[in-house]
Amino acid sequence: MKVIEAHGLVKRYGPVTALDGVDLEVDSGEFFGLAGPNGAGKTTLLRILTGQLAPTGGEARVLGIDPARQPLRVKAAVGIVPEVESPPSYLTASEYLYFVGRVRQVPRLQEAIDRWLRFFDLEEARTTICRDLSKGTRQKLMLAAAFIHGPDLLFMDEPFINLDPIHQRRLKDFLLEYSAAGHTVFMCSHLLEIAEKLCDRVAIIDGGKIIAQGSIAEVRREDRDLETAFLRLVGERR
Amino acid sequence: MSYLVRLMLKEEYRMHSTYSSRRMFLMFPVIVTLFSFAIGVTSQRLLEATPLSEAIMFLHLSAFLYGLGVGAFGFLGAQYLERRHGQRNYVVTMPAILPMSFRRTFLGMYVRDALFYIALVLLPMVIGLTLSVPFTGFRLTSIGFLFLAAIVSFLVGMSLSFLVSTLYMRSRLAFGVAVGAIAAAFAAYGLFHILPIETILPGLAMHYGLPPFAQPGTQALVAGLAGGGLIAACVAGALLLVPDQYEPRSAPAEAEALPGIDARLGIAREYRILLAKEFVDLKRSGTVAKMFFSFVTPLIFLSFTAWFVRNGLRVPVGFNSVFYGAMVGFFGVLLYNWLNNVDAMDYYATLPVSVPTVIRTKLLAFLVLTTGISTAFVVGVSALNNDMRLLWLALPVMFITSVYMVVMTAYLTGLRTNSFLFDPAVLAQFSVLAILPDLGLTILSFTVDRDPVYTVGGIILVLVVLTAATMVLYRGIDGKWGRHEFTE
Repeated sequence: MKVIEAHGLVKRYGPVTALDGVDLEVDSGEFFGLAGPNGAGKTTLLRILTGQLAPTGGEARVLGIDPARQPLRVKAAVGIVPEVESPPSYLTASEYLYFVGRVRQVPRLQEAIDRWLRFFDLEEARTTICRDLSKGTRQKLMLAAAFIHGPDLLFMDEPFINLDPIHQRRLKDFLLEYSAAGHTVFMCSHLLEIAEKLCDRVAIIDGGKIIAQGSIAEVRREDRDLETAFLRLVGERR
Repeated sequence: MSYLVRLMLKEEYRMHSTYSSRRMFLMFPVIVTLFSFAIGVTSQRLLEATPLSEAIMFLHLSAFLYGLGVGAFGFLGAQYLERRHGQRNYVVTMPAILPMSFRRTFLGMYVRDALFYIALVLLPMVIGLTLSVPFTGFRLTSIGFLFLAAIVSFLVGMSLSFLVSTLYMRSRLAFGVAVGAIAAAFAAYGLFHILPIETILPGLAMHYGLPPFAQPGTQALVAGLAGGGLIAACVAGALLLVPDQYEPRSAPAEAEALPGIDARLGIAREYRILLAKEFVDLKRSGTVAKMFFSFVTPLIFLSFTAWFVRNGLRVPVGFNSVFYGAMVGFFGVLLYNWLNNVDAMDYYATLPVSVPTVIRTKLLAFLVLTTGISTAFVVGVSALNNDMRLLWLALPVMFITSVYMVVMTAYLTGLRTNSFLFDPAVLAQFSVLAILPDLGLTILSFTVDRDPVYTVGGIILVLVVLTAATMVLYRGIDGKWGRHEFTE
């Protein structure tokens, strides 16, 4: 079953074309990675798929919902980890999870808050307001906020950036288990080594166009790893 | 330094022009020019009611207050440095990673805003007056002196604000003492008459020593030098107070307040958790105090002006409770603006919450915060003026005008009130929608004793129209802001 479908997605910002006819499909239970150079359109695509941005053209379906027409339904159904870790400045870590849980109507909320604070070692930050948290701690909090309602589909924009090796490993293990349980992950990342280890399929985007898409082996072809394939594919276009 | 100021001016211009468009932004000084031209052309009639010296005093007072508003770099800089603007960042924060000092960028900010706002407001105002010369016969030299003196008043306000707000970065006690001293100076002028206003506003003293009031001489020179000295001293003091290394104030660990407040707000139904968060934000960010002062200060200023017109100028204007009710409603806009400036809202983009829902939450917060204080003010002023007989009318006027003003502002500006009010198209709509009903209510309030039946009927009619307009605008919020995103 397709949980993400995009057909001919276009996004223009004035004279700049950020997405130029993107076609994409992701199956249920897949771990899908999106890689591309800076400014290639990764974040724009993720924001359109999660209803944060309206496309200029084309259409998309996420869990059968059109994110351009029903952005709130998409946001309610999925978990989103944004590119910039920006929880509200004046709530404590624990209050932010409470806030997100109440907005998302999470049952047994306190249990869920305690679970994710423990998972990311955020117990010490529980009573600190987010403005005073370190960048990495804020990133962990944004991850916890995206997981708290147990969504079937996760959208993550550079989730490993700012995390220390301990929490990178913990997050990788969690995401592999999550995917193995039949849930879907859509991840934008520059960290190709991680993407190669975690993803079932990847797409490479450059200049707003998908230039390669398939399983890791299909994209890699003769190259020794995904990074070499990425450099070749993007390099050919320069 | 000049390259830094040039860069900051470009940054300011680009920031303002993104709120609407470059063309619309450049319309702003054109509108100021036209407005000033209109005032110039009708000045003969205006001066029949208000003597020139008093009109000039109000102009300097306005320039000073405008400068006070512009120059609060201590607050603004702290906000930039703490990155409370979501994904946006500014040149002023660059010393954190470049070999340059915060003093330099703060001075750059001061010079930038002085140039920017003189060019945006004061210069177009002078051009408008100059264009009116064929109709008014104003002397060009007098207009030139007015420009010079108004710049001094504006810069005194800006510099004082710069100093006091940077003082806040170092010590809240010292900040309180400084604010108290400024308030005491104005009280010495307004309440106790022991200090002439020219002593507080050297720009005004300078102007009184120049044509058309007097021939240029020692008085103007001394006042000009005093103004220049005050500006230099305040800026130097402010720069000394800007820290070399900026460290945000660390808040102590907070007890969990959100669940408790959430539990108590059952009446707010689907807005409950969002409203609870607003209250926690307001308390912890210190915005409640800023809101209180920015609401109470104009009310005190208004009461003083009314008192001054009645007792000082002995003009028989019938300021009554209904007038105060209408004015209190008007000032509510300032509070709505504060509610939108507490924190960046990027995180909402990842949650199933729409922009109209957050706007409605802010409106609810506004109602909870202001209803009590507005009512207390109108009742208090009525009691002080022995005017309780009109309270039955003044309170509905206050309540309906407040709700109308804030809903209208929310409809026009969404969650970015400050930014959108720089868009001339929005500003023009706002001016018409705000000033027309308030003017109508003010004029009607003055005639309440002369013709009570017709006046009360007229006021009720205005209130019915405002209520209907409020409902239309409130329903329109969904249509206007439903497709907008938090990160735009």
